[in-house]
Amino acid sequence: MLGKFIAGKFLQYLIVIFLMLTLNFLLPRLMPGNPLVFLAGEDVGFMSSAEKEAILDKYGLNDSIIEQYGAYIKDIFTGDFGYSYQQKRPISELLMERLPWTMLLTGLGLVLSTIIGVMFGAISAWRRGTKTDANLLTVFMFLSAMPSFWVGMILVSIFSAQLGWLPVFGAESAWSNYSGIDRIIDIGKHLILPLATLILISVTSTFMIMRYSMLNVLGEDYIMMAKAKGVKEKVIKYKHAMRNALLPVATVFMLSLGFTLGGATVIETVFAYPGVGRLMFESVLSRDYPLIQATFLIITFSVVIANFLADLIYPLLDPKVGSRNG
Amino acid sequence: MGNQKWKKYWQVLTSNNIGLFGLILLMIFLLIAILAPFLAPFDPTDRVGAPFTKPNSQFLLGTNDVGQDILSELLYGTRISLLIGVIAAFISILLGCLVGIVSGYYGGKVDALLMRLVDLVLVIPFLPLMILLAAFIGPSFWNIVLVISLISWASPARVIRSQVLTLKTKGYVEAAKSIGTNISVVLSRHILPGVIPIALSQFVLAASHSILIEASLSFLGLGDPFTKSWGTILYYAQARGAFLTDAWIWWVLPPGLLITTLVIGFAFTGYSLEEILNPRLRKER
Repeated sequence: MLGKFIAGKFLQYLIVIFLMLTLNFLLPRLMPGNPLVFLAGEDVGFMSSAEKEAILDKYGLNDSIIEQYGAYIKDIFTGDFGYSYQQKRPISELLMERLPWTMLLTGLGLVLSTIIGVMFGAISAWRRGTKTDANLLTVFMFLSAMPSFWVGMILVSIFSAQLGWLPVFGAESAWSNYSGIDRIIDIGKHLILPLATLILISVTSTFMIMRYSMLNVLGEDYIMMAKAKGVKEKVIKYKHAMRNALLPVATVFMLSLGFTLGGATVIETVFAYPGVGRLMFESVLSRDYPLIQATFLIITFSVVIANFLADLIYPLLDPKVGSRNG
Repeated sequence: MGNQKWKKYWQVLTSNNIGLFGLILLMIFLLIAILAPFLAPFDPTDRVGAPFTKPNSQFLLGTNDVGQDILSELLYGTRISLLIGVIAAFISILLGCLVGIVSGYYGGKVDALLMRLVDLVLVIPFLPLMILLAAFIGPSFWNIVLVISLISWASPARVIRSQVLTLKTKGYVEAAKSIGTNISVVLSRHILPGVIPIALSQFVLAASHSILIEASLSFLGLGDPFTKSWGTILYYAQARGAFLTDAWIWWVLPPGLLITTLVIGFAFTGYSLEEILNPRLRKER
């Protein structure tokens, strides 16, 4: 039962990956215009015909479309994302350089926004119908209505430009040669504003789900029973209600990774934070098409992997699903 | 659905503070969009002052990097942001309705296939995909609309499908089917009227999402360069470093506040519509 469920999910994600790979393969070849521009960037105009021929040959553009597709898939799965003709570097190298920063930002952002969302969601549900509940709901609704990049810009304006408390952009100070603890502090200072922005824009979904799930749990018989037995409010709140309400949050935690990574694309752009998202923006600005595609693929891969992990972990968390397996 | 029922919805909607607030906001923005030429002191594309002018009696919100009046840009920008949001939401709900109704009504293999497709689409990180598509097909008003609606139909499709599933088991639908009523009649007479209210609330929520997505795309420089939306204005403010100077108060703050307010307007209207249409939710609040 469980094995079949996981195999089905695996197949589904495999299809997503292949669809996205195929889309990536077809885009430069089907769009009107010179496919060379899409494969090598707009510098193509300055290339000699020998260079062009070399690129045509590298991408096998003279071969049949099926052969091209086979070669493309093989390249991706061997970690060869192609070459950025504008940055004059292999794309996989660029990605590896940027990936750790994005993981730092989104990883911390996801954990912190989940903790904050869970806390406020629980408070809101516990005080359902009171002023606190209404106020919290309003605040979180407003947060989710704000454009992420704008939140970032405002934070930079206030805390960096006006007050001068925090650095304006980047992940660490350039040419500072900090090492050890100083470097960590420097990185931390650079991280505060992008992280705050990411938390502010992604916290609402956790809040809403926690509130909803907690409301459901609070309506259950065993809570009434505990109350009737005279169990202390704190114990009911933390031991009985919150624990059980956390389950749906756990799934959303993984699933919101896609949203968080997408949000990070825009936020990294505002703060010139050297992650994959910023790389995507830079490649859009310079119309470096192979790089746009590679950044998109790497983000898609991460999201798909996270989704699959969530599916694997879920049965461990939910006793109902787990017991079905025996 | 009779006139009576709509009247009742309207009454519940307007008696609900949140819904009323949302509706009023939407009306105000609609008025601004329509009356932009009369409200705006200048043509937003004209260079009417010195670049980077601070706010004064002539330019209430100053001028941008090429000397265009920011207030006029904002007023005209309402049209673009509102239009893209509404059109993209409309197309995605239309697609969602189509998929949802076909899936829910026919069931079986068609349903399984379509729902797998919905699952697939929901996994894809939508903003990066939109960036990819927008970069390839180029920035223009209709391309942005197309890109947003192509990605956002999936979750409304699911909601509408479950509504159709509920409707299908209703006595009058089964009765109609059993006496051999034509499918198109069953759909248009019995299914569609039950779907439209849900589709409406989904539409309003989709519009609020579309406006945010459009803003993000425009901010990344993928907006239509000839029609400036609020997101495009922020793109230029970012590119010219306005947020690092005092100009943030009149160049960065206002467009974002407008986006937030418009999204809130749609979201509040949408949530209270949902509350009206879903009695279960009404009890829980």
